[in-house]
Amino acid sequence: MGIQIGDKAPDFKAEAYYRGTTQGMQLSHYQGQWVLLLFYPADFTFV
Amino acid sequence: MAAVAVKYPAFRELGTEVLTVSVDSVTTHKEWHEKELSRMVEGGALYPMISDPDGKIGHLFGVYDDNSGLDLRSHFLIDPQGVIQTVEVLATPIGRNVAEILRQLRALQHHQATGEFMPCGWEPGKPTLTEGDDTPSTSGKVWEVWKPRNAF
Repeated sequence: MGIQIGDKAPDFKAEAYYRGTTQGMQLSHYQGQWVLLLFYPADFTFV
Repeated sequence: MAAVAVKYPAFRELGTEVLTVSVDSVTTHKEWHEKELSRMVEGGALYPMISDPDGKIGHLFGVYDDNSGLDLRSHFLIDPQGVIQTVEVLATPIGRNVAEILRQLRALQHHQATGEFMPCGWEPGKPTLTEGDDTPSTSGKVWEVWKPRNAF
């Protein structure tokens, strides 16, 4: 796996569904707080 | 994801934002949110649900599965400096344990605040070690301060 503990998280931009709207977002905008970044295979499946 | 939505206030109390990612479109996220998530959890998911249609974000983090064309079930805890502090990847058939993610987060925050080390099974209030159990000064002496029952 490319990512290791202690690495700087790679930055990315994306679109997100957020509280009823579509919004652009960028990971680096969350610097200064902790982030839980959570991947999952598909909507309509369990956690 | 509903379990994460339920615990979202706990993450916020720990000064943590939640970002979820799958290859689904924003439209599919919206449908899932309206049809299912908001019925399972009051208010639904209050965090950004990111769309990764071409798996680019999954690729960046090493969790995109070329065979299925999906992002693997995984999580990363990123500290306020943008540094990755936890990496966990699960086989697709297995759901994650949100309480464990919160425990990891509390342990990481406790370590950054105090410099202490959190041994196996640590929960807030349980004993910590003041140095890593593999450092020379505590090597062979962990048994004096930590018992296996503390792990459970």
